[in-house]
Amino acid sequence: MTENSAISDAMSRRGFLKWALGFSVVATVVGAVVPVIGYLWPPTRRSAAGGGRVLFGSVKDLPVGQAKVLPVNDKPVIVVNTSAGGVKAFSAICTHLGCVVEWNQSKQFILCPCHDGRFNPTTGAVISGPPPSPLPSVRVAVEKDQIFVGGA
Amino acid sequence: MQKSTSLRPADWVNRLIDWIDERVGIREIVAYSVHVTIPRTAHTYYLGGITLFFFMVQAITGILLALYYHPTPADAYDSILFIMNEVNFGWLIRSIHSWSANLMIVFCVLHLLRVAVQGAYRPPREMTWLVGIGLLLITLGFGFTGYLLPWDERAFWAPTVGTQIAGAVPLIGNYVQDFLRGGPDLGALTLSRFFDVHVLVLPVALIGALLIHILFIHQQGLADPEEREEYDG
Repeated sequence: MTENSAISDAMSRRGFLKWALGFSVVATVVGAVVPVIGYLWPPTRRSAAGGGRVLFGSVKDLPVGQAKVLPVNDKPVIVVNTSAGGVKAFSAICTHLGCVVEWNQSKQFILCPCHDGRFNPTTGAVISGPPPSPLPSVRVAVEKDQIFVGGA
Repeated sequence: MQKSTSLRPADWVNRLIDWIDERVGIREIVAYSVHVTIPRTAHTYYLGGITLFFFMVQAITGILLALYYHPTPADAYDSILFIMNEVNFGWLIRSIHSWSANLMIVFCVLHLLRVAVQGAYRPPREMTWLVGIGLLLITLGFGFTGYLLPWDERAFWAPTVGTQIAGAVPLIGNYVQDFLRGGPDLGALTLSRFFDVHVLVLPVALIGALLIHILFIHQQGLADPEEREEYDG
């Protein structure tokens, strides 16, 4: 017994090899599982990461009287090319209960599909329906036909 | 010396296995699945196992790629760019799928050459050989259909030429070509078709043929190259 205990005090060859085997197995499993979990994790949108403005696209892609909703800094924003006031952008979150608003092409106003709240596309003011306040406007800039949305 | 017992399963694991064994005889199934007769002289019998390993890599990475891939002409290439540039480790998963695909075919062929050179296809193992040829063809089918899916220039032209080769068959060539393409030209229908075959038809076919292949091996044991087996078929 004294011989055995003397060996087990320091790390024996067998103990070292067992440890090395265990380490190899764990390292291999971790090396395989970590990329898979990372892959399954929803990818981040780089355009919205920094809190800066986002390139919406060309003015040509948004004729007068049309609008599109796009995510800016993880929040939906509706960009409208109005006939009266040029390109405008508003938060697309309805001030009533938080639904995402949409563009009514035929009647030319911003419509919340949940409870028929209607907003003026030039000012964001409430035309009719339950919303208590106008849609907050979002900064929009047109530079050389390129529309940039958001930012300070 | 407490540490030496750490690799053995805990008592509750044994009791759980006992519980299952009493009902469905799991120990017998596992023993049959694990034990294969391998000749003492065997030195080259790992090639099929490596091929199987690469298939498992393909299955896992393929399932992952299908999460972000869109099989439509408008979105296919953009979704590849998205996987490579935006998805975490997307470049790694796609590259592993690509490399592993090539290596699977390489080891499939090496496995075939080993069996051919050592004459392991001889009676009573002809059926294992035939199923193995089927597995090789399925694997090549994976390669052919998978090549189209990135939908870039190279992906477009390789299956164009490939289906034209099928079109050169006398009499039925044109029908075969249209059948493969889903129409006279390579287009949206071809992409849908190839994607369907790549992720639904071939995986099921390969797993089925693989089970038969392995079942035969387990029934017969592996051929001994040192021994001239006399078989009176």
